[in-house]
Amino acid sequence: MNRRNFLALTGTFTGGKLLLPDFLYSFSKQNAIFNPNQCLVFIQLNGGNDGLNTFIPFENELYYKARPTIALSKSEIISANNGMAFHPSLIDFARIQQNGDLTVIQNVGYQNPVRSHFRSQEIWQTAPEKQEYLTSGWLGRFLDIHCKDHTPTAGINIDAYDSFALLGKEPNSLTVRDPRSFSSSESVENKLATSTNPQLDFVRKVANSISEGAAEIQKAIVKTKDTDFLYPKSELSGKLKWISKLIKGNLNSNVYYTSTNGFDTHEEQLGIQKNKLSEVNNSVSAFYDDLKEAKLLENVTIVVFSEFGRRVKENGGGTDHGTAAPIFIIGGNNKGKVIGKNPNLLDLDEGDLKHEIDFRSVYAALLKSKMNFDGSKIGIVNRPLEGIF
Amino acid sequence: MDNSILWSLRLGYSSRQAAIIEKKGIKSFLEQSFNAELDRSLPSFFEKIPKSLFDIKELNAKRRNSNIEERKIFNLEQVAIGVEMQTWWLEKMMSTQFPLREKMTCFWHNHFVATSQSVKVFYWIYQHNIILRENAFGNYKTLTKAILKTNAIVQYLDNNRNVNTKLNENLSRELLELFTLGIGNYTENDIKNGAKGLAGLGLGEQQAAYIPKFEVNETFEYLGKKGNLKVDEMVDAIFDHPKVAFLITKKILKWFIYDNPPDQLVDYYGKYFKSVNFEIKPLLIKIFSEEFAKKTAGSKIKDPLVFLFQVFDEVSIKPDAVLINKLLLQQGLNLFNQVNVKGWEGGRSWINSQTFQQRNTIVDIVCTSKNFIQRKMNLVEKELLENLKNDNLKVEIKWLKNSNSKSIINNFTNRLLFDTDEKLNKDLDVILKYDFDPKSEGAEFAVTRLYNSILKLPEFQLI
Repeated sequence: MNRRNFLALTGTFTGGKLLLPDFLYSFSKQNAIFNPNQCLVFIQLNGGNDGLNTFIPFENELYYKARPTIALSKSEIISANNGMAFHPSLIDFARIQQNGDLTVIQNVGYQNPVRSHFRSQEIWQTAPEKQEYLTSGWLGRFLDIHCKDHTPTAGINIDAYDSFALLGKEPNSLTVRDPRSFSSSESVENKLATSTNPQLDFVRKVANSISEGAAEIQKAIVKTKDTDFLYPKSELSGKLKWISKLIKGNLNSNVYYTSTNGFDTHEEQLGIQKNKLSEVNNSVSAFYDDLKEAKLLENVTIVVFSEFGRRVKENGGGTDHGTAAPIFIIGGNNKGKVIGKNPNLLDLDEGDLKHEIDFRSVYAALLKSKMNFDGSKIGIVNRPLEGIF
Repeated sequence: MDNSILWSLRLGYSSRQAAIIEKKGIKSFLEQSFNAELDRSLPSFFEKIPKSLFDIKELNAKRRNSNIEERKIFNLEQVAIGVEMQTWWLEKMMSTQFPLREKMTCFWHNHFVATSQSVKVFYWIYQHNIILRENAFGNYKTLTKAILKTNAIVQYLDNNRNVNTKLNENLSRELLELFTLGIGNYTENDIKNGAKGLAGLGLGEQQAAYIPKFEVNETFEYLGKKGNLKVDEMVDAIFDHPKVAFLITKKILKWFIYDNPPDQLVDYYGKYFKSVNFEIKPLLIKIFSEEFAKKTAGSKIKDPLVFLFQVFDEVSIKPDAVLINKLLLQQGLNLFNQVNVKGWEGGRSWINSQTFQQRNTIVDIVCTSKNFIQRKMNLVEKELLENLKNDNLKVEIKWLKNSNSKSIINNFTNRLLFDTDEKLNKDLDVILKYDFDPKSEGAEFAVTRLYNSILKLPEFQLI
């Protein structure tokens, strides 16, 4: 950072009046952002959502045998087709599927599954080839290459905490807890010089990205009218509402990321999962209708996933950590199919489902079809999964 | 930065201990910190909270049977007690002469996580904290055994639901993954078998206890040991594992000194920790005295506690602990309520666009109060500003009043910035020029402006 110029400026213009040096700089020239019409929206269900009670193999007797108290009965499930059906809370997922806008990818996971929340989330977020520990997220690496220059709003994470998935070498993404608090700030033309201290460089870059991002976000928010009519009151719903605002305001971010907690259902799964899935259903439904009305759905690909599914056999009132689970893709002109075989409840790995589709092949497909990007450039060597788009 | 100030910030929350460190040396300062008397006075909320299982159950029943209005009042009372508990601790942190125990207690608090929002019984959270406080400088193995027998941990990690008819692996997993060995040093089988050993360890009157009818009594294998192991024997087995010292050693290095501790240091101090049978005092003495001699400044991003306490201490104001608590919350640190069982990540996670922007807003409010330039503020920031405007808090910046600009700048950078270079010094010279006259009318104002700028430098975020 060229502090000298900045402080000189401050000194020159204050004229005795106190001017607050913000150390928040902005580049004067924004990069033209690639693929301006396409974006990916990730909704991470934290805690390990139980896939078997989400998209249910209701014709499989083994399902009822393994889950005497928490299985969903044939009279409760909805939208049954080809042996699979939705949890009753997912009524709008079923509707979106009817509209041909939802693809289900079954049994998604990875080799040598890890049943720790943190490590498994890390694996999903960093997409390592052989479970090596990486220091950057897969979307962060993607943005590092795809953004020709540092582009602070290429990725937007609407959450209280930074997402590892978006962490790259360059801060090409912003974490926003509440976009309203971004006020536009004066921009000063300046560039960063790196030091030998990575922590210092990090703070400097955060300082730097704030004003750039703030201005862009502010602009996007101003552009869009309020569309409060659709969104129910919940944390996730609020987050998706902001994402829709930013998309409609042409922020032109390529990736939006958000998450919701509470899927770690060791106990009292029926009630907890019902509430959580309702929240997801109602929020995503509003987001979907909103985008559809704005004629933006074909440009927006929504991905709903979790770090793992849960054990096939229940533990009484809930389920312990498991492995493979379905991913849901909504919008982005997907083909609206169910991809992959129905869960095999007979051939298990230590009581857990064996994955059939590698999550990295889903990532590869998203990058290829939506971003025209070759996943192998960021270490995702799996062949893109066919049939989503 | 002056090395004593650096270590005062690292081992405490402000530069207040720098003089003792300077005068007595780091080792003697540590001895004094270890020997400082433990404050055993009961907190103000102690009388208000139910303590026996019977009273706790009765309170829950009362809540269940209450109508909406009563429930509202009840919930407000609970929130108020939660805040009282947080401020009880914050006041200890702010007032103590030897903050190392508070800092170490908070380290354990963030290691053996049990949140009050989830546990919902304040007395158990209080007991949990007292054990951490008393064992802060004790023995890691002893502490692990004690903490597993707290009702708080048992409830937080669902072990009260881990019974022979339906095992629940939650506590068994976190015991190995987060509390001791770390991932990669055990198998899924150890987790499954561990759940058997822990089955039946449920809530008890003063502490968790095995309930015989819920236990599993069979021989199983756990980390290479065979037997019908119970919680203490399981901990013994864990502490026989060759890797047990490293996870905690690394976390201690992260907590006090390095956001990214070098592997060879983790290995070096970890081996020493094992050689002293997991006694914490000798480990801390070794780490702090050896690292004190090295040039390590700037290796760690300040956590919200250090940032806020240092800023307030610097200008001699003592905002109300309730207000500080609100600021901490917005900075991502909610005492007794970490986001998840892994605890606060620390390091870079403290700084994001919003928290950084708020840190600068706080600095601006403190430095300029009455002349504060209007901008968007949230309610907590407004509250701080109002307090300063109404002269409830009087800001006093310490600077060398009978000196020249060079000395004033050096004095500030020595106590505020982990490092400076020629370029930075030149930048600061622009704000407080060489011909600055400390006796002139606007002197205080110019110094404040310099001070304000320094506190907003990215360099100020590091120690």
